[in-house]
Amino acid sequence: MPAPSLILALLFVVCFTLATWLQPWHQSWAGGRAQSDSLLGVVMGNSRQLFANHFFTKADVYFHSGYYPSVFDQAIGGAPHITAAKDAAAETDAEHGREQSEEAGFLGPPRDWIDRFSRNFYPSRHSHLDRPGEAREILPWLRIAADLDPHKVETYTVAAYWLREHLNRVDEAEQLLREGWRANPDSYEILFELGRVFDENRHDSQRARNVWELALGKWRQRSARNGEPDDFVLEQILTRLAQLEEREGHWEKALSYLEKLEAVSPKPEAIQQQINDLKKKVVSAPPANRSGAQQTGKP
Amino acid sequence: MKPILKIEDLVVEYRTREFGQRVTVAVNRLSLEVFPGEVFGFLGPNGAGKTTTVNVLLGFVPVTRGAAYIFNVNVRDPIARQRIGYLPELTYYYKFLTAEELLRFYARIFRIPRAEIGPRIDEVLKLVGLDTARKRPIKTYSKGMQQRIGLAQALINEPDLLILDEPTSGLDPIGRMNVREMIQRLKSKGKTVFFSSHELGEVETVCDRVAILHQGELKATGRVSDLVEKYKCNLEQAFLKVIGYEPGHE
Amino acid sequence: MNNALSVASIVIKELYRRKDFYVLFVLTAIITLLMGSLHFFNDDRIVRYLKEICLLLIWISALAIAVGTSARQIPAERENRTIFPLLAKPITRGQLIAGKFLGCWLACGLALIVFYFFFGVISVSREHQWAAASFFQALWLHWWMLGVVVAMTLLGSVVFAAPSSNGTICLLIILSILLLGRHLNKVAVQLAEPMSGVVSAVYFAVPHLELFDVRDLVVHNWDPINWLICVGATLYAAAYAIFFLFATWLVFRRQPLV
Repeated sequence: MPAPSLILALLFVVCFTLATWLQPWHQSWAGGRAQSDSLLGVVMGNSRQLFANHFFTKADVYFHSGYYPSVFDQAIGGAPHITAAKDAAAETDAEHGREQSEEAGFLGPPRDWIDRFSRNFYPSRHSHLDRPGEAREILPWLRIAADLDPHKVETYTVAAYWLREHLNRVDEAEQLLREGWRANPDSYEILFELGRVFDENRHDSQRARNVWELALGKWRQRSARNGEPDDFVLEQILTRLAQLEEREGHWEKALSYLEKLEAVSPKPEAIQQQINDLKKKVVSAPPANRSGAQQTGKP
Repeated sequence: MKPILKIEDLVVEYRTREFGQRVTVAVNRLSLEVFPGEVFGFLGPNGAGKTTTVNVLLGFVPVTRGAAYIFNVNVRDPIARQRIGYLPELTYYYKFLTAEELLRFYARIFRIPRAEIGPRIDEVLKLVGLDTARKRPIKTYSKGMQQRIGLAQALINEPDLLILDEPTSGLDPIGRMNVREMIQRLKSKGKTVFFSSHELGEVETVCDRVAILHQGELKATGRVSDLVEKYKCNLEQAFLKVIGYEPGHE
Repeated sequence: MNNALSVASIVIKELYRRKDFYVLFVLTAIITLLMGSLHFFNDDRIVRYLKEICLLLIWISALAIAVGTSARQIPAERENRTIFPLLAKPITRGQLIAGKFLGCWLACGLALIVFYFFFGVISVSREHQWAAASFFQALWLHWWMLGVVVAMTLLGSVVFAAPSSNGTICLLIILSILLLGRHLNKVAVQLAEPMSGVVSAVYFAVPHLELFDVRDLVVHNWDPINWLICVGATLYAAAYAIFFLFATWLVFRRQPLV
């Protein structure tokens, strides 16, 4: 056998031996990326999260029809207001107006003639995708963001909100939330949104209750672990549970939730008023309905 | 008779890019005239300044001192090139074009009327023997064919003065014979040919007058027969004597 | 003008006989159609993401064509020695540069027409509406922006030795302007002197190519730009293109060819 072929064969054997030795070591060293079963995970590693954040912001950019502060605008004017899932009941004209003036202000007056001239060539007025069905345009970016980073909970809750509330795609919203829940089994935010699907769209109070109670339990577990309670979500869960129980005539349970809500609400006097109103309603209710108050069942 | 080409006290200097900027004199006070209808040979060893002189005539290289005129127009003016044809030593043309497209392009630059362009192209391609290959891209041409397309583009405007830089360089004997025949044909039509060459045998055959350049300076000029008579030898030996070459002393 | 147009016609012939344009167009079409075949949440009326992707690919392809074509014009003529038989004809160096510029610019324009036609087909097929004025403005402004790019690259081609280095440097400058040009004044405000002055000077000196990037307006269906503003932008681009071409002529006219 000629010498070059022998050398080639020897090199092949050495490489093969090295590979069998290095592979297990690399598996243990590279951690999650090497053990990932997702092609994206293997290829992109932790940069997926960067891209996911970018595409999540992209959805917000699309919501504002391209009118959005750049990183340079943010450096001067502060972080932008990110459009999140809004509770239609809580939104007021004043809040919307404040949001508009905050966002409209990021450009400021033109600094020079080039700045003034250039504003004709890019979106320079505040805008939302308000017309029926327009919100669909943000969906691709939310879908991609969810695929890239399945552990970014906000992606699922925001997408689900727009799907069910503005686009009448309830099935897709539920499917997405379930997908998010599989990836984030401890997420009370996703459970809360799922509960809203059952309550507001499916009108299935029992399932809504089950899911919200589960969300409450998850919140308690995480608060105990982290020590940093997310009171905003807790308020929403308690509010919804209280409203549901009140609707179903379970006064005691409703009162129990309202009392818990009063402890964490920034407006306890308003909650106290609700508690008082509910108690009056209980007193004035017929005896048959009043027995609904006997249903206990600690949350 | 007024000269068709006139060079007056031409000096061309190159500044090297080295530290200290050394100056190289490529052409040193060259003066010569070429008259209508003659075939003029421009001779000299490598580095004599022949190509530099040709480049000056074509406007490729700026003049340091002196001047050159073609048809009484300073060579710096592009219109001086309206009635000349130029065949470079190394023939490269746009490979993505066909022969016909290339000639049409050059014809437009010469502002040949549209109605005349077609017949002119036909005539020139037949003359150089490329009629059958006119639609093929030049990148498919052999070296000989590329030389012929070079000749064709030099003749497209029916030039009164043809400037040829080493026209037989790299050609086989048949190719060289074709070039000689073409020069003689042009001469018979009253055209003027100015060409630089190393092939003294060909020069002796076709040229009326020659100029011999060495180290940028004109060493001799005149009719071939006069030079041969003066030095009592053939043109090659006369050339060697003029440039001061002695065998064994290099 | 006749000489310049003749040279331009050669440049255009070269573009459509090379593979670059076809490869880029096919890539753009394939990627766009692939992205268009995706369905997000069972809604097939989503269109803006597709418009954005298509326009991004068009911009990348157009820049590749513009810079790639312009960067190799003069160096290739020198390297292939085709410049000698050309300049031996009654054509000036200024006419040569004008011809190269016109050829590259018109070639870019032809390529843009094809690209934007494809974009229009994709857009109309999804949206079922035709924003003709906006599309035309986007095409027009893009074309004029490429005019500045071509002129800048031609200047680079007579300054830098190799087409590859010229192309790289020009692309870097162009991308920097597109991404950062609008924001340099904000950056300058946050810096201390003398850097603030330097950045401000750069801000006012560079051609603001990002002005011609109206993709966001097209993607998000904003109203067309005021036509007077469009004319102003056209004149702005023309001024910079003429400046770069003049600089190219100043450099090239004195350069020895051998």
